[in-house]
Amino acid sequence: MIPGSSVASKEDAVISIRDLKFSYEGGVQALAGVNLDIKRGEYVAIVGGNGSGKTTLAKNIIGLLKSASGTVLVHGALASEQKIASLARVVGYAFQNPDHQLFCSSVSDEVRFGPRNQGIPEQEVERRMQHALEAMNLMALKDKPPLSLTLSARRRISIASVIAMDPQVLILDEPTTGLDMRESDDLMASIGGLNAEGRTIILITHDMKLVAKYAHRVVVMSEGRVVLDADPIGVFSDLDVLLSSKLVPPPVTRLAYRLSALGVPRNVLSPEELVFRLIQARGGAK
Amino acid sequence: MTGFVDLYSEADTFLHKMDPRVKILAVLLISVLALILSTLYSLLVLLAFIFLLLFLARATLSRTVFALKFVLRFMVLIIVLWPIFDPAGNHVLGSLGPITITEQAIWRGVTSAARVGCLATVWYILLFTTSQRDLVRALVKLGVRFDIGLTLAISLRFLPTFSALVESIKDAQRARGLELGRGGLVKRARNYVAVLVPTIVSALKTADTLSLALQSRAYGARADRTYLRELKMRASDGIALGSLVAIFVLVASARLVLQVHI
Repeated sequence: MIPGSSVASKEDAVISIRDLKFSYEGGVQALAGVNLDIKRGEYVAIVGGNGSGKTTLAKNIIGLLKSASGTVLVHGALASEQKIASLARVVGYAFQNPDHQLFCSSVSDEVRFGPRNQGIPEQEVERRMQHALEAMNLMALKDKPPLSLTLSARRRISIASVIAMDPQVLILDEPTTGLDMRESDDLMASIGGLNAEGRTIILITHDMKLVAKYAHRVVVMSEGRVVLDADPIGVFSDLDVLLSSKLVPPPVTRLAYRLSALGVPRNVLSPEELVFRLIQARGGAK
Repeated sequence: MTGFVDLYSEADTFLHKMDPRVKILAVLLISVLALILSTLYSLLVLLAFIFLLLFLARATLSRTVFALKFVLRFMVLIIVLWPIFDPAGNHVLGSLGPITITEQAIWRGVTSAARVGCLATVWYILLFTTSQRDLVRALVKLGVRFDIGLTLAISLRFLPTFSALVESIKDAQRARGLELGRGGLVKRARNYVAVLVPTIVSALKTADTLSLALQSRAYGARADRTYLRELKMRASDGIALGSLVAIFVLVASARLVLQVHI
């Protein structure tokens, strides 16, 4: 159930990062030595406050930024030595703002753009387009102009256009920002489906509720370093590291903290679990 | 990136403190001087004066060279190409087929390059020592309509924002396998559509939001504008402008009325 905990050999790592350092022009150090292995099929959330280096790390993985210090291996090959276009076959990246990439006059054309750039035969492009639209629940909007649609739909389109390139790893940068509860739940359900297909998901987010609900493994970043790397329960019980990384556990976990006097454990991730633990604790008291 | 689109650099020199209106007029006068001076020696004197100003504005050589990179290349091009296309002159240094190189043509090339150098450097000093706000304020005080001045100020203000936006859009499309620098001219132009459309859409959205923000803060509610910061000419500004005008009148009348070859 938790791929991160399953027995996996070294070869299973799709992404392997060693001592990665990165500084922007002007001297701001965004990454101060990151070590991270991500295995095939994992669902990893990368969390951390603004400026902790999450996006910089992602951009190093997809080759948009190239670091002079440290290595990023994607499928065993150095990311810095590959072209962005060829890395895109393995690692897809959905940008934070979907409007930065939508330009076609129909949703289907938008989704075809990536695979066409890769020189994939037209028949296969069609198949991938269909699959991506179905996976992101967009079939009904197939012929609509993307820019006229809601933010939620635009975000789905931008993810679909990445999936159409059939990457093994999908990096999603804050995919639920600006969406309401219902929209983010639907989107996360679609993303869960992609993970079930066997794709590795890397979710960059601030939203601890999402992390608690969906991620199998949580990587906490602070000041350009990985300060904690564990499953959600492990991460949310380490309050000191969380707070010093400008993060707060999800409300239900915080409530469990407050109820610890009643005998509720701290590692609660969902309302259902909290109710269960409360009943258990009260039953134990009586 | 910002250094590229906004040349202004904050410092406390007399050129930075000078009334921007005076600076604009002074730069215009010096530009006309550079255009009417005809000998290399007088242009070199002017260039030396401009470099003195550059020094007084505390501009470092490396920054200046970086900002004027394109102009420097252009000057080299003038010096190289001029003698090839200008066969006039009696002191022939050599000839190859239809091309005749004369000593006079070489000097004419160098003179033109010096002129371009004067013009570029003096405008660079203006932009280096004057913030965009002051520049627009001065233009409005010199008679440009306020809304045009404001539009100019907003455009300048948004240049770095848009250059960052374009970079971000390029990144987003590269991640979708777009290779901007590849293919023939037509293919490249078509590739840029993927960058241009999101840029224009984002720019229009920003403009829309901006106009709403301006209206919601009562922009244009009163026809007669008042200003929080008034520009003031100080005595030193007057002296600087006065002496420059005097030199200008002297040189211009010598050159244009008396037809002296300087």
